[in-house]
Amino acid sequence: MTFEPGDRVRVLPSEKPGHVRTPAYLKGKVGWVESLIGEFPNPEELAYGLSGLPERPLYKVGFRQTDLWKDYRGPAEDFLYADIYEHWLESERGPK
Amino acid sequence: MGEAHDMGGSPGGPVDRGQHEVEDWERLADAINGALGAKGLQSTDELRRSIESLEEYRDLSYYERWVAATEKLLVEKGVLSSDEIDQRAAEIERRWDRL
Amino acid sequence: MSDHSHEEASSGRTTSPYAARIRAIEALLLEKGVLNEPEVQDNISYMEARSPANGAKLVARAWVDPEFKELLLSDGKAAASQLGMDPEHPAEIIVVENTPEVHNLIVCTLCSCYPRAILGRPPDWYKSFAYRSRAVREPRAVMREFGFEPPEGVEVVVHDSTADARYMVLPMRPPDTKGMDEEQLAELVTRDSLVGVNVPRSPSRTSPR
Repeated sequence: MTFEPGDRVRVLPSEKPGHVRTPAYLKGKVGWVESLIGEFPNPEELAYGLSGLPERPLYKVGFRQTDLWKDYRGPAEDFLYADIYEHWLESERGPK
Repeated sequence: MGEAHDMGGSPGGPVDRGQHEVEDWERLADAINGALGAKGLQSTDELRRSIESLEEYRDLSYYERWVAATEKLLVEKGVLSSDEIDQRAAEIERRWDRL
Repeated sequence: MSDHSHEEASSGRTTSPYAARIRAIEALLLEKGVLNEPEVQDNISYMEARSPANGAKLVARAWVDPEFKELLLSDGKAAASQLGMDPEHPAEIIVVENTPEVHNLIVCTLCSCYPRAILGRPPDWYKSFAYRSRAVREPRAVMREFGFEPPEGVEVVVHDSTADARYMVLPMRPPDTKGMDEEQLAELVTRDSLVGVNVPRSPSRTSPR
């Protein structure tokens, strides 16, 4: 797998058609890899009766709520996790 | 947000905390999908994709979406035809009306 | 063949048109031999056997047994299996722990994924568009609607179940529960506390042994 816990990543802002499990509200957002959940067949292909193989790494990715929503009404320490497939992530360098 | 189902972050009203009694037909919707899945005849991902593709997504209840999507998937796979489902459903409703 | 359709028949036209459609689908699939009656019945029984009481048992055991708690947090399916809950279906069950610093909230914005294999059917509110839309963006406002406000200084962490894992919260053990046995502790664990919109009941109205 490409990413390690702690890596800063950006969710690809891709508008690819078909069944995807990356929610729109996370596209283009920057967060960190919390952990590797495991490797699973790709749901985007399973959805059309394909095998979904080879299996893809699935990561638990964390985001600060204040990075996700301009109007977030809670403390800056609140955050959100989503489970994102590796092929939806790219490395993001830059200041924290 | 592009698609109807992809609603995280969309505006919404208060959460309705009411609970309806699960009806037998809804239990059956769960069971049919569970059975089809257990036999490898459809996957969770195929069902989700089918649900997401429903034009009527926002107008249907949770289990109505499941039934509509199950039907769509079975027809797509050539297991059943829309016509025979229509016919049988109409017969069933006529039978219920007579009771 | 058992006829499940009495309810729909007696409720007549007030029920959904999809009721007849799923009955039609069932009848056709059985006639064509795609499914058989025992398979359908087994699946009905499977769901009926699952309920929030299972989640409450897991939590109560974790509260009294540190080794079990460790297992629950590292491998939810194995922990559930150990208590005889037979959770074959989801790829993973991930249990997240509430602490004095962190309060967890579970949602599935894309569809309503829920640890059904342990807890059974999710409540209607969990599946609602309002919850799915707002839980990620304003979790504290949503929890307030359920009557819960985390104490000052507690972070709220939302988990959107977007993929193959299903999530459940391990709430904190309420204070003043010393000496309660597992069964009594399990009674405090509500379904809402397993999703994270609230916390377990306090034992103030129950008399401890």
